[in-house]
Amino acid sequence: MSLRRVVATFRRLVQELRRDRRSMALLFVAPVVLTGLMAFVLRGQQVAPVSAVVVNEGGPAGGAIVDALEGALRTDGGSVTEAPDRAAAEAALRDGTASVAIIVPADFVARLTQGSEPSLTVITPGLEPTADSQQVVSLQRAIVTAVTQALPDAGVHLPRLDPQTLYGSPNSDVLDHLAPVFLGFFAYFFVYILTGISFLRERIGGTLERLLATPVTRGEIVLGYSLGFGLFATIQVLVLLGWTLLNVQVPAVGPLPAFSAGLAVPVAGSPLLAFLVVMLLALGAVSLGILLSTFARTELQVVQFIPLVIVPQALLSGVLFPVSSMPDLLQAIARVLPLTYATDGLRQVVIRGADLGYGALQVDLLVLAAFVAIFAVLASATIRREVV
Amino acid sequence: MRKSPTGESTLLVDMQTVAMGLAPAVQAIDLRKSFGEIHAVDGVSFELTAGRIYGLMGPNGSGKTTLIRMLTGLGRPTSGEARVLGVQMPSRPNLARIGYMTQSDGIYPELTASENVRFFAAMYGVRESGAAEAALAVVELSDRAGTLASELSGGLRRRLSLACALVHRPPVLFLDEPTVGVDPALRVQFWAHFHELARDGTTLVVSSHVMDEADRCDELLFMRGGRVIAQGSGQDLRVRAGTTDLEQAFLRFSADQEPAT
Repeated sequence: MSLRRVVATFRRLVQELRRDRRSMALLFVAPVVLTGLMAFVLRGQQVAPVSAVVVNEGGPAGGAIVDALEGALRTDGGSVTEAPDRAAAEAALRDGTASVAIIVPADFVARLTQGSEPSLTVITPGLEPTADSQQVVSLQRAIVTAVTQALPDAGVHLPRLDPQTLYGSPNSDVLDHLAPVFLGFFAYFFVYILTGISFLRERIGGTLERLLATPVTRGEIVLGYSLGFGLFATIQVLVLLGWTLLNVQVPAVGPLPAFSAGLAVPVAGSPLLAFLVVMLLALGAVSLGILLSTFARTELQVVQFIPLVIVPQALLSGVLFPVSSMPDLLQAIARVLPLTYATDGLRQVVIRGADLGYGALQVDLLVLAAFVAIFAVLASATIRREVV
Repeated sequence: MRKSPTGESTLLVDMQTVAMGLAPAVQAIDLRKSFGEIHAVDGVSFELTAGRIYGLMGPNGSGKTTLIRMLTGLGRPTSGEARVLGVQMPSRPNLARIGYMTQSDGIYPELTASENVRFFAAMYGVRESGAAEAALAVVELSDRAGTLASELSGGLRRRLSLACALVHRPPVLFLDEPTVGVDPALRVQFWAHFHELARDGTTLVVSSHVMDEADRCDELLFMRGGRVIAQGSGQDLRVRAGTTDLEQAFLRFSADQEPAT
């Protein structure tokens, strides 16, 4: 073994990397920026004040509890409104005027004083479990305060919370909420990588130069790319959608035991609408890939955009953390990311069961379509040519 | 979106005048292209007649590729005019009548030879079937039509690249260093193709930095420092330079260009 050759190899690497500013940034700047962003998202979480809608079925005795609860929530910046019945409370949840509904049952106070396991029904929307559980935690604190205040002699029997959700099911697991959203994220991510690399090959392989020496228009190129990768995105989304939603029982064959394939995530709305949301996102990713390939000279550099472009989007667009509890600045950024609208759209369809009549879903679809158009225009602008 | 002032009907009229030799096939009028302080093409004027092979000779960095890019509409001149078949470049519709073989192969490695040619035929708007097969036959690649471009040898890839450039039977063909990396036997074939095309009326502009190909051209344009320093047939240039060697002639013309001190 020659030390000289080892040192020469070492030195060559240092010389090369030092000149590769992008790799240097990736090594030292990106981790700092990303963990900083993550800290900002996590530490800056604003727990939205509880706006509760209460249905009191417990008469005047229950009314005292409600008043005490209102006082306790008010001190935390929350608010309480009363609703005549469960249907009215759910309506308030549905249109967003309330973040949580509480039903005080008729025998609540009696049980509380008797010490026989009183229970309160708590209904959350069920669209974003993280945001919901934050609400329930705040609510629990307020209930403890309220009960000890309203009934100082009730002693130790604190009420049990009976959690229910407006959409989905309170027993749904993490996967039920994450799978539909990840569907969109994966389509976005893989289509971006594929298009970015294949368009970069056109740029560096000399075929783009040659293409532009033909009477083709830039719009034709971008549209052709969208169709081509759109086809593969379609197949990918269909496979993923099937895998996520289906639960196929495979019977035992010979020595193989029976098993089930698929994640069996319940879907409240139309799988076709979920497909539409993901397709729009994937088409945006095609143009994004073309757009970003301008700023890369090698295939490695397309991959280097992942921590800079894709990971922050995953952090900010509500895939993992609810947008509503992020600091205001990050919420503003989230609002200009296409993934935010796809994430929301998928939740609306899969968990809430939204159809095309839902305003929230309409907004998501329109914004996504606008992103597709804007990205396509930007992408064709990056194809440098003297004649359009 | 900018529309070209040239409609299809005017293109046809231009074609006829060019074919009859009434108008130059390719014309440069005081063409200049600067990148900041660097004048890559520094005032070039010429008129090229249809059906002839022109050799654009000069060392690397003399402005050959920049000049060709302006003539094919890929680069906009800083000043001056580039006209091909009477139409000022850049003009998108006019590109259907121009063939361009780039310095790099510019073919899709994951496609077969015939898929590559078919693709460019579609891009050029060629409608008749058999155009791709004909182009492959011209470069004698018919027996490799089904081979992936990535599996072709370097020389065969150059042939495929040439087939892609002439699949639409363009009346004007620009070839940027077409014989780089091509073995001598294939080089002879290439030049045979070029002469065949010229006989059929195609105007060819071939750039090269190897002088031993110069004599295969009908006419030469010596380029240096972004200018055309001499133009004429090989014989004519030798006589004017007073030497029997074209390389020597090039150096003689270069020396004449040096500012007198």
